[in-house]
Amino acid sequence: MRLRRDKYHFQERGGFTVDATVKRGAEHLPFQRVPDPELCVVFLRQHIGPPNEPLVGPGDRVTEGQKIGDGEGHMCVPVHAPVTGRVTKIDTAYHPGLGAESEAVFIERASEEIPPLRLSRFDPDRLQDAEPDALVGAVREAGVVGLGGAGFPAHVKLSFRDKAEYLVINAKESDPNVACDVRLKQERPAELVAGIRAMARMLNVKECIFATRAQRGEFPELEERLRKAGVELAHIRPSYSVGSDKLLVKELLNVEVPCGAYPPDVGAVVHNVFTAYAVARGLYDGEPLTSRGITFISRYTGPRNLWVKVGTPMRHVLEHMGIPPDTVQRLVVASMLMGGAVPHADVPLVKATAAISAFDPQERSPYERERACIRCGYCNMVCPVSIYPVLIMEAEKRGQRGKLRRLHAEDCIDCGLCSYVCPSLIKLTGYLRRAMAEVKQG
Amino acid sequence: MREEPNLRYISELPPHVHSGITKDKVMLRTFLLMCIPALAALPAMGLSALAHIAIAIGTVLFCHYSLAYTELLSKGTTSYKSPCSPLVAGMIVGLSMPIAAPYYATVGVAALTMVVFKWLQGRLCGRKYLNPAAASKVLLLAALSIAAGLGTGMMFYPAHLRLDLWTAAGFDEVVAFYDGRSALSGALSLVLLKDHGWIGGASGLAVLVAGIGAVLWIRLKWRIVVSLLLTVGVLAAVMSLVTGGSMVDRLAFHLFTGSVIFMGFFMATEPQSTPLAEGGQYLFGTALGVGTFLLQQLNVLGGSIIVLVALNLVTPLIDTIGRRRPYGHGGVR
Ligand code: SF4
Ligand code: SF4
Repeated sequence: MRLRRDKYHFQERGGFTVDATVKRGAEHLPFQRVPDPELCVVFLRQHIGPPNEPLVGPGDRVTEGQKIGDGEGHMCVPVHAPVTGRVTKIDTAYHPGLGAESEAVFIERASEEIPPLRLSRFDPDRLQDAEPDALVGAVREAGVVGLGGAGFPAHVKLSFRDKAEYLVINAKESDPNVACDVRLKQERPAELVAGIRAMARMLNVKECIFATRAQRGEFPELEERLRKAGVELAHIRPSYSVGSDKLLVKELLNVEVPCGAYPPDVGAVVHNVFTAYAVARGLYDGEPLTSRGITFISRYTGPRNLWVKVGTPMRHVLEHMGIPPDTVQRLVVASMLMGGAVPHADVPLVKATAAISAFDPQERSPYERERACIRCGYCNMVCPVSIYPVLIMEAEKRGQRGKLRRLHAEDCIDCGLCSYVCPSLIKLTGYLRRAMAEVKQG
Repeated sequence: MREEPNLRYISELPPHVHSGITKDKVMLRTFLLMCIPALAALPAMGLSALAHIAIAIGTVLFCHYSLAYTELLSKGTTSYKSPCSPLVAGMIVGLSMPIAAPYYATVGVAALTMVVFKWLQGRLCGRKYLNPAAASKVLLLAALSIAAGLGTGMMFYPAHLRLDLWTAAGFDEVVAFYDGRSALSGALSLVLLKDHGWIGGASGLAVLVAGIGAVLWIRLKWRIVVSLLLTVGVLAAVMSLVTGGSMVDRLAFHLFTGSVIFMGFFMATEPQSTPLAEGGQYLFGTALGVGTFLLQQLNVLGGSIIVLVALNLVTPLIDTIGRRRPYGHGGVR
C-alpha cells in the first residue's frame, strides 16, 4: 500500500491513492492564450437539456459575442459566436461531451478586427440594488453553464432561492489532470470573488463556502478577498472523489443527498469555481461565455494552462502546442478518469471542456491487457458511493435487471475509480453505464 | 456530404490511466509475504519443509507450462502467460502441507490444485467457487482416508486421533505431547517455532507478521481473518474457563496452529471463493471459526480446510447479505 501523502496523491476509500503527478508544476504556469482558429465549430447544445435552435444561417456574418443559438425551454442556454466571421454551414459534428454527433454552427473567422458584442452590465458596487431574477436572467443570457464538466445550466441552479441555504464553490481541482482552477485562483481572484458575491445575492444563502484542497496561505490575495466578502474558506483533504458535488456536500455539511435527489434538495447549491468566474464576466463585463481556461497535458509539453475559444478544434490546440496531430493516438477530453477519448482531431472544444490530454502511440492504454476478474473486491473498497461494481458487472453481463436495481447501480457517479484500481485491468465503466441506463429505463 | 476526417484516433471509454497495481503485482507481493513463514519453517522443521515447498512450486509450474503449451498448440495463443499466480498457488500448497506428509502427497495436491481446481473449475464454472489448494487437499485427504484408513488420510498424524481436548487433563497431555518435541515449551513453542503440523504454521508469529503485511500491502479480506481469529479465540477461552487449565496454552494451541493462522490469512481470504460484501465476510469468518474449533475439538486437526471448502460452496448465498448501505440511502452516516 502506498502511503504517499502530498498534494499530488489523492487519498481515496480503501486506502487507495490517485496519482495526480501528471499535473505537477502546472499551478505555476500562467494561462497562455491560444490564437483564434480559422474555423470555429460551436455546438448548439452545450448544456444539459434540450438543444437550441440556430439563430443564424449559412452565409450570415456574425460578430464575436453575438448570440447564434437559443431555445425556448427553461433548461436551454444560449450559445454565442466566439469569433467574428461568416457562418459557412450548420451541420453535425462529433460532440466530446455527448460522445455522439450533434448540430453545430461552423464559423469561418474574418480577418478584420471588429469590437466584440457585449451584453448589458451590472455595477458590482450596486449589487444589492439588482433584482435576483434580473441577475439570473443575465447569467442565462451570457450562456453560462456548469464548467466543472457537467454543463448543467447555471441559471437553473441559481434559481433555487427557496431551497438554498449554502452556496458551495467547488474549487477542489480534484481531477488528476486539471490544474486550470488553481491558475484561476492565482490570476483572477477579484473576478472570482465578485462572481461568488453575485451568486450569493441570486440565491440569498445564509452561508457561502469556498472548498479547496489548497493549504492556508497558498493564495493570499484570494483568501483576503474571500474573507472580506464573508465567504468561508474550507480546506478539504486531497481526494479525487470528494470533487463530486454530492460527496463534497457530505464532506462539508455531513449531509447525504438522497438517492434520486440533487444537492439543492438538501439546501446546498454547488458551483464550480470557473462558473463563478464566468458569471462575473457575464454580469460585470457583459462578456458571454465564449472562451475558457483549460489544462493541456502531453508527454512532450508536460502540463500547460491555456486560454482557448469555445469551438476551437483540438487540431488547432495541438498544433499550437507544437504537436503534429498525426503523432497522437488517443486524445482525451476532460478528466482522464471520466472523460472520453475523441475519434479525431477536428472535434471542437465545448464550454465544459476543462482539459485535453494527448497520448502518443507509445503511451498505450493500460486496459489493453485486460484479464479475468479475480474478485479481489478492490473496486468495491474504493467506490465512494458504497456500491458493488463487480457485482453490478456480473449482473449486467447476465442481464439481471432486478438485481441491478437491488445493487443500486443508478447511484454510480461514474467516477472511474473502480476501473482505476482494478488489478485485472477491467474497464468497468461500460458495464456500469449500461447498468445505470437499464435501471433508469425501469 | 460532410468530409470524413482522414486521421482517426482510438476512441474509447474512460478511464485512461490506471493505478499500476496489477494482478501480477498483487500475486508477487503475496508470494513475497509468504516467504516469511516459509523461511521461518526452516529452523523449526528443517530442510524437509523447504523440499515440500520446492516440490509444490515445481509441480504447479510444470502443470502451468504444460497447460500453456497445450493451449498454444490447440488455439495458437495462451492465457497462461504469467507465472505469478501459479507461484502463489504452489507456495500455498507447500505451506499448507503437514511436515509429516509424504512428498507424493504434496505432488498430488499441487497437481490437483492446478489441473482440477484452477484450470478445470475455471473452464466449467466460469470462475473458482472452491479454494483450489483447500479443495485439492480435502479431495486427496478423503481419497487417502478411504483407500488407506483415517490415519493415513490425516496425513500421517494418526496420533491426533487419540488426543482428548474436552478435559483439562487431556489438553495438558496434548501440550506435553508437543512440548516433548520442541526446545521451547508450551505456548511459546506453539507461537514461535514448532516442528509439527502445517509447514506454514511452523511459526505462528511469522504468519502473523506476513498476514498483517498482506492486509496493508495487498488489502486481503481482513474481516474474514479478524472474525475467524476472534471466534476461535473466544471459543478457546470459554473452553478453558469451562474445563480449567491454562488459558494461554489453550489460546496458543487453537489460534497459532498452521491450520488456523496460516489458513486464516492466506487461504480463507482467497478472493474468488470468499464473499465480497463486508457483512458476508464477517459471517464467513465466524462460521469458519466455529467449524474449525469444533473439528479441532474432535481431533481433526487441520480440518479447517474442510469447513473452508464447505463455506466456499455457500459463498454465493452469503454474498447476498451484509452489503454496505450506498450513499444517499438513509440520511447522515
Ligand atoms: S477490482 Fe477488478 S478484479 Fe477485483 S473484483 Fe473488481 S472487477 Fe474483479
Ligand atoms: S464508477 Fe461508479 S461504481 Fe465505480 S467507483 Fe465510481 S461510483 Fe463506484
